[in-house]
Amino acid sequence: MAVDAANISSAGASASRLRLRPHWPFIAPLILVMAAGFAWPLLHVLVNSFHPNTPQGLDAEHWTLTNYRRLADPLYGEILLRTLRISAAVTAISAVAAYPVALFIARLSPRAQSWMILAYVSPWLVNTVVKALGWTLLLRSNGVINTALRAIGLIEQPLRLLLTETGVVLALVPGHFMFVLLPLWTAISALDPALSWAAGTLGATPAGVFRRIVLPLTLPALIVGLVINFIMNMTAFAIPMLLGGVRNQVASMLAYQVDLVSLDWPFGGALAVALLGFTLALVFVGQKLAVIGLSSRGGKPEVSPS
Amino acid sequence: MMLAVNIVMLVAVLAPVLLVVWMSFTPTASFVLPLGDFSLRWYREALSYPGFVDAFFLSAELAAIASLITIAATFLAAYGLVRFRPRGREALMAVFTAPLLVPAVVFGIAMLQFINQLGLYNRLVGLVLAHVILVIPFAIRSLVATLGAVPEELEWAAMMLGRSRAGTLWHVTLPLCAHGLVTAFLFSFLLSFSEVTTTIFMSGPSLQTLPVRIYNYMSDRIDPTVAAVSALVVMISLALVLALNLMGGFRRLAAR
Repeated sequence: MAVDAANISSAGASASRLRLRPHWPFIAPLILVMAAGFAWPLLHVLVNSFHPNTPQGLDAEHWTLTNYRRLADPLYGEILLRTLRISAAVTAISAVAAYPVALFIARLSPRAQSWMILAYVSPWLVNTVVKALGWTLLLRSNGVINTALRAIGLIEQPLRLLLTETGVVLALVPGHFMFVLLPLWTAISALDPALSWAAGTLGATPAGVFRRIVLPLTLPALIVGLVINFIMNMTAFAIPMLLGGVRNQVASMLAYQVDLVSLDWPFGGALAVALLGFTLALVFVGQKLAVIGLSSRGGKPEVSPS
Repeated sequence: MMLAVNIVMLVAVLAPVLLVVWMSFTPTASFVLPLGDFSLRWYREALSYPGFVDAFFLSAELAAIASLITIAATFLAAYGLVRFRPRGREALMAVFTAPLLVPAVVFGIAMLQFINQLGLYNRLVGLVLAHVILVIPFAIRSLVATLGAVPEELEWAAMMLGRSRAGTLWHVTLPLCAHGLVTAFLFSFLLSFSEVTTTIFMSGPSLQTLPVRIYNYMSDRIDPTVAAVSALVVMISLALVLALNLMGGFRRLAAR
């Protein structure tokens, strides 16, 4: 271990030992920023969610659970169900595509690998509104997909893709695929190639190597990615709004409606708290699953939240 | 089979972005893919629409301010974590990366209610605060890695030769980290520049960033003007991504 650098400066050595925490002046600014911009707003919305809403706005004098009871309203059940349906479809498709893509990339040369990863990741850094425009141009009744399908004679009438759940799913899959691909590709790259080679010399088929070696060792990474993917799908806003439209309302659109149109902050707060609670619960379960998956095979658990 | 899946996914990932760029060169008023007959007509249209131009400058200003604040505060914190190795270092890292666990919608709602009750609605400071929080998790990871790669012995040497810790930080550590600082700044800028969801929830009518302005325009109508301005956004973003990639920071940021 390296020596604590503070001890080197002769004058400050004993003093900083006595004060014990020489790192605080460095860390304090960031802690303060996070307290003001992160912890405080989240606490604020939590408190708001327990106040009643009145025609004059939020009533800070009284406390209530009404906002949480309203979440159980069957009116919102349909929206929740649609959100879950879309999210699950996107995550399922991503799960099926993840291994073929990650295994393919992991077998390329290091240089080709970094270009492939760049190709998958860079669209994530272009804002989602622009991608939603791209998908609109693809999915419209006279858009690229319908024009192409009609040109080769597969369909007579244009398919209705825009303003449907199918369209939202089609756009969300590539939009959030990176969150599944990156952890899985990292895990596959970290595998010892000697394992597959050894299994091969002992007579295992490529399918057998995948099923008995690659899959068990990298499944935890896939689970971590799928959990993040599912959360991103549950809380996506611009894509469902612009491609699904108001008739296919999902949870985030309801939140927008409640917070910015009805200005019902207590209920909007309850929605936010419920979404956050659901997210954290999923992350927790996902990490537990990943750790169980690993430890049952004697591996060393290593899970990062994203 | 793996190749086929890979091609399908790659097309699905890249097609919407590339299609917008291609379509933006159309000479017609409807969305007809231009084949050999390209025009800059809609770029002139987009650049003469003050809504887009103002929003671009707001986005760039916001991204620059938020990234500078983030890098300054995060660099100090990373220095504290890496050089002093305090107990609870893991816990502090968990705190600094916690915004990744909060969905953008939830954070947007929290920020909307928070800045309203503070009377900061429709003011730049609220947006800056939100964007700072959103990029901290990425900045802290990359700067901790940067500082970990700088030999501590060089700092000891400077301090033994009489520099104070602050002087050493400024004259020795900071220049040694220049490359990592620029990478982290570019990445933060890019994240802030392309942030949509949280910003839509909390930005006031007179503070619409470029993505929010495009979103509002698209909710109203879709014409090639919006394709042209979107194509410009794509080109700016991809130029930054390539710059990051050339600096080598991208692989580290992406691979975590």
